[in-house]
Amino acid sequence: MHAVGRRRGAIILGLLPALLIYVIFAILPILQSFYYSVMEWDGFSDMTYVGLANFKEVFADPLFWNSVKNNIYVVLASVFGQVPIALFIALLLNRKLKGLKIFRTIGFLPVVLSTVVISLTWSLIYNSEDGLINELLRSVGLESWALNWLGDTNLAMIAVCITVIWQFVGLYLIIFLAALQNVPEEVLEAAKMDGASEWTTTWKIIVPMIWDTIIVAVILCIAGSLKTFDLIYVMTHGGPSHSTEVMALYMFNETFSQLQYGYGSAVSVLIFFFSLLLIYLVNKIFGKKMI
Amino acid sequence: METVVKSELDQKTIKPKRKLSLKRVLIYTTLTIFAVVNAYPILWMIINSFKSEQEFQVDQFGLPDTFVLENYVNAWNTANFGVLFKNSIFICLAATILTVLIGAIASYFLSRFTFKMNKVVYTFFIFGMLIPIHATLVPMFILIRNLGLLNTPVTLIFPYIAFHLPITIFILTSFMKAFPKDIEESAVMDGCGIFRIFWSIILPMSRPALATVIILNFIYNWNEFSFALVLINDPALQTLPLGLASFAGQFTTNYGAQMAGLTMSLIPIVAFYLLLEKEIVKGMTAGAVKG
Repeated sequence: MHAVGRRRGAIILGLLPALLIYVIFAILPILQSFYYSVMEWDGFSDMTYVGLANFKEVFADPLFWNSVKNNIYVVLASVFGQVPIALFIALLLNRKLKGLKIFRTIGFLPVVLSTVVISLTWSLIYNSEDGLINELLRSVGLESWALNWLGDTNLAMIAVCITVIWQFVGLYLIIFLAALQNVPEEVLEAAKMDGASEWTTTWKIIVPMIWDTIIVAVILCIAGSLKTFDLIYVMTHGGPSHSTEVMALYMFNETFSQLQYGYGSAVSVLIFFFSLLLIYLVNKIFGKKMI
Repeated sequence: METVVKSELDQKTIKPKRKLSLKRVLIYTTLTIFAVVNAYPILWMIINSFKSEQEFQVDQFGLPDTFVLENYVNAWNTANFGVLFKNSIFICLAATILTVLIGAIASYFLSRFTFKMNKVVYTFFIFGMLIPIHATLVPMFILIRNLGLLNTPVTLIFPYIAFHLPITIFILTSFMKAFPKDIEESAVMDGCGIFRIFWSIILPMSRPALATVIILNFIYNWNEFSFALVLINDPALQTLPLGLASFAGQFTTNYGAQMAGLTMSLIPIVAFYLLLEKEIVKGMTAGAVKG
């Protein structure tokens, strides 16, 4: 009895630090988000309960829907940009090649870099006067193609999406490479013996075998794109005239520059549910094929 | 007879070889394009950080005529890089060490002991991987303010630990679970206490998984931006990503200094990456595929 009691004490003692910090600084804030979302509050004076008024106001704001639309652009660009490119390169790298390691190392490099560094570097690349892209266009005589990439409301979103794709292709590349290494060699050899072309082997055998991983990558991609904030905050601040504003940025601007803590929390709650909904939908759509 | 067979053999060996080499050329070309697109933006920035403003205007694509270090001196002095590096190193190391230590103890009890709430506590921790950081920014700001922790050297450590405990516990628990069941028995016979077993048996055995979580935590903490943006506004306490963002915002036209600043901030994380590339890739796949 005594020993059991002491063990229980040890268990509690061992789990306590982790639980305490985790509950106070991760669980409590997300719960408070829900609480603040039904309040009208500037962060300093007294709170007043307003029910779902904040949510009604959010839904009535065209700028919110504009940020949802922009967020969907980022999701689409990521899913249809990052995943296919990463899969294609991973399939190319999945053979006995010289220098494979170098390609893998370079491929993953952007993933390790800080988003702030990436955003600032790409801002310089897109710069309308001395940027790399415009310099390149001028040097090959396409002067008229040199544009103000981040300053044009029609182009800014495309420019941002290209950077997003560039940043994370490497992550999915590594995930796919790991999955491809788990495809048993015998299966591929058997296919070769049966005279299957590489094309057939890839589409009929390899891709179905790593299908689960592809779905996981798509889900990660969606969840990640909904969180896009740092990159756009540094590159454009959501501008010009809200053309690159995504949900997290809309929330940030409304909360901290207008001091509407209740309203901002309502947007936070919506972001939370929006990502759960999208992930659920992806599971539902691809769920059948997975069996 | 013999010659016929031989020539047939020759044909057989030559033909696939030729086909293969054309394919190889295509594969290598594609991979090289991918590598250039991946690495060139960073290289372009590093190379141009050594050019004088005039040389940058005239030629962006060549190597610098003479390596100008003036940009570096400018950036170091105006952006207070010494302070930024010091802050980033302190916060990154403290948060990483604490997360791994606290997480390892929790993982030890969760993986090696059976008690009533075991599964519940584990799931509760893992749930944290689903919490979108941006949905917690507002309550986190208020919480930290109410705790009197706003703008102190330790402000960022708490949210960093809380938000990285889930992935840390996830990786360490699955690793420790795989150890054989009787591993602690002889130690108990020798009169070892529970915490002694953890420290001198479990921890050393978990070295590969520890390496993974240390690396993941280090990269996350080094690059983190959103919490730093909201919780820190004293320039003396800024971390590197935060300092870089405000530095670039103030010196929009001094490209040389900007690029020098970005290059300097790249050095630690790129060195870290190249040094530990193999472990990082292993860790990212373990964490990302399942997370």
